[in-house]
Amino acid sequence: MNAIELYLTLGIAVFLLSLHGLMTLYDPIRRLIAVNLMGAGTFLVMVSLARRSEVPDPVLHALVVTGLVVAISATAFALRLIIAGSKNDKTDSGGGNRKP
Amino acid sequence: MNFALLSLAIPLFCGLLLLLSGRALRTRTTGFIVIVSTVASLVAAWFALQEAAAAGADIMLNLGGWETGLAIRLRLSSLSALLLVFTALMHLLIGLYAGLSRDGIKRDYWALSCFLHGSLAALWLSADLFNLYITLELLGLTAVAMVALAGPKAYKPAANYLILSLAASLFYLLGVALLYGRYGELDVLLLAPRTQADVITRLALLLMTTGLMLKAALWPLHLWLPPAHASAPTAVSALLSGLVVKGPLFILWVLWSEVAPPTLAQQIGPVLAIAGMIALTAGGLSAMRSPHIKTLVAYSTVAQLGYALMALGLLLTWQLPQMHIALWLFVIAHGLAKASLFLAAGEMQSSLGTKRVDGLRGATQTVPVAMFAFAVAGGSLIGLPPSGGFLAKWVLLEPILSEPGNWPWAMGVLLGTLVSAAYIFRIVAISFDRAQINPLDINPDRVGHWLALLPALMVWGMALSGEWLIRLLAGGPV
Repeated sequence: MNAIELYLTLGIAVFLLSLHGLMTLYDPIRRLIAVNLMGAGTFLVMVSLARRSEVPDPVLHALVVTGLVVAISATAFALRLIIAGSKNDKTDSGGGNRKP
Repeated sequence: MNFALLSLAIPLFCGLLLLLSGRALRTRTTGFIVIVSTVASLVAAWFALQEAAAAGADIMLNLGGWETGLAIRLRLSSLSALLLVFTALMHLLIGLYAGLSRDGIKRDYWALSCFLHGSLAALWLSADLFNLYITLELLGLTAVAMVALAGPKAYKPAANYLILSLAASLFYLLGVALLYGRYGELDVLLLAPRTQADVITRLALLLMTTGLMLKAALWPLHLWLPPAHASAPTAVSALLSGLVVKGPLFILWVLWSEVAPPTLAQQIGPVLAIAGMIALTAGGLSAMRSPHIKTLVAYSTVAQLGYALMALGLLLTWQLPQMHIALWLFVIAHGLAKASLFLAAGEMQSSLGTKRVDGLRGATQTVPVAMFAFAVAGGSLIGLPPSGGFLAKWVLLEPILSEPGNWPWAMGVLLGTLVSAAYIFRIVAISFDRAQINPLDINPDRVGHWLALLPALMVWGMALSGEWLIRLLAGGPV
């Protein structure tokens, strides 16, 4: 197994592990992190695929950069939604276990 | 091609303009601008349709003037032109409702609906796997933002929708990366003749199919849809159920009917068709048991997508072009009917002051127009002649019934029809219960009720232009 195959396997492994996380975890922030790790696995696969030739493939690099932009903006949006949603939960629960 | 680009660019620029103008414009003015731009986009899409039908073959455009192989290509076929017209028409109908009904809608809806329109138009025109990924992400992000317009109660379903949508996109992206690694090509038409039925291709197609099925809420990956669609504002639910889920379905169709080698397509076909049959029954049963009006309508989307999935599966199994016509007729008929159902459900909810199905007792007397719209649109979902749903079902059933060996599939369609009839008639039966009428909560908004009826009338009008639609989808002269 050469280095590229190792990285490809690792990328797929990260993808599958975080998929497991996404399916088993409940907390929305943890699930968001799991999705981000799935993205990291995908990008690792893409970057190692690009390294197969002597000159790295620029198309795959461009795809990874575009993918990163999408991932960052989507993560920011998701965090905002999750935070706003949890604030709403606290005001809805009507006392009981609310912190002072 | 210019008209198609215009139809894509108008909503996109209108959305950017609204975003830049910020709070300077009044909500009514904003709505007016968006409706005018949607009409302009509809006219441009109509001319694009004429152009595509006259050309007889796909019109290609290399973006930036780069040579084929290097350029990102756009493709205008008669199908994508028809979908452009359909998208603009749906936006116009729902925009009219959002602008003229009494409830009104938040200002941000207008800019977001422009972006939704633009990203869908880009999706129909893309002929590049990575470009399709970008449009898919745009579509997902806009759709989530639109769900969140309903206020704090919708944040949780919106966040859940977003996380699943991102995961689904990554499945698709990993598949694209594997295909590119194997063939060094992203363009659909250049990739198509080169694909082979090997392990990497199978894995890539499987990953992409999983992602797309999750995005399109196809059984068994549909569980996120009912909460997200039912918690959105009424106009948004109509757009989401009528249009947004059709985007990933289009990519799924491109993937399996063009990119995948036919041997693999024939293997996956029966699986998709059986998933479609189960979706019809399972979604329908959930709709029948749902206590809330909007959840019922959302589950009926899951069920109706089963028809489209079945048509796709049978198209791949038998490689029959007729199924392609059935698939897109279903998409158009379902979009129009579902818009009407959601708008009518939303209007009835606000007029009667209840979210529950039981609250519709006596609705034929208290909110007659909205209830009529619901029943008429429901008739198309069941497939009563001469509606658009009937047309699609007829085209689907014809090849199934012509061979005795295919009859088991007809049972699936029959079962689906029965279940659809059951959940539509459940509502209709309750609304005729005049013994214990649920009185009106507020004076009904007549304009809103009539605007909810409009898409339902159009889906029944589809049968009048049935021959034209079928010829157009068959790719022959119009």
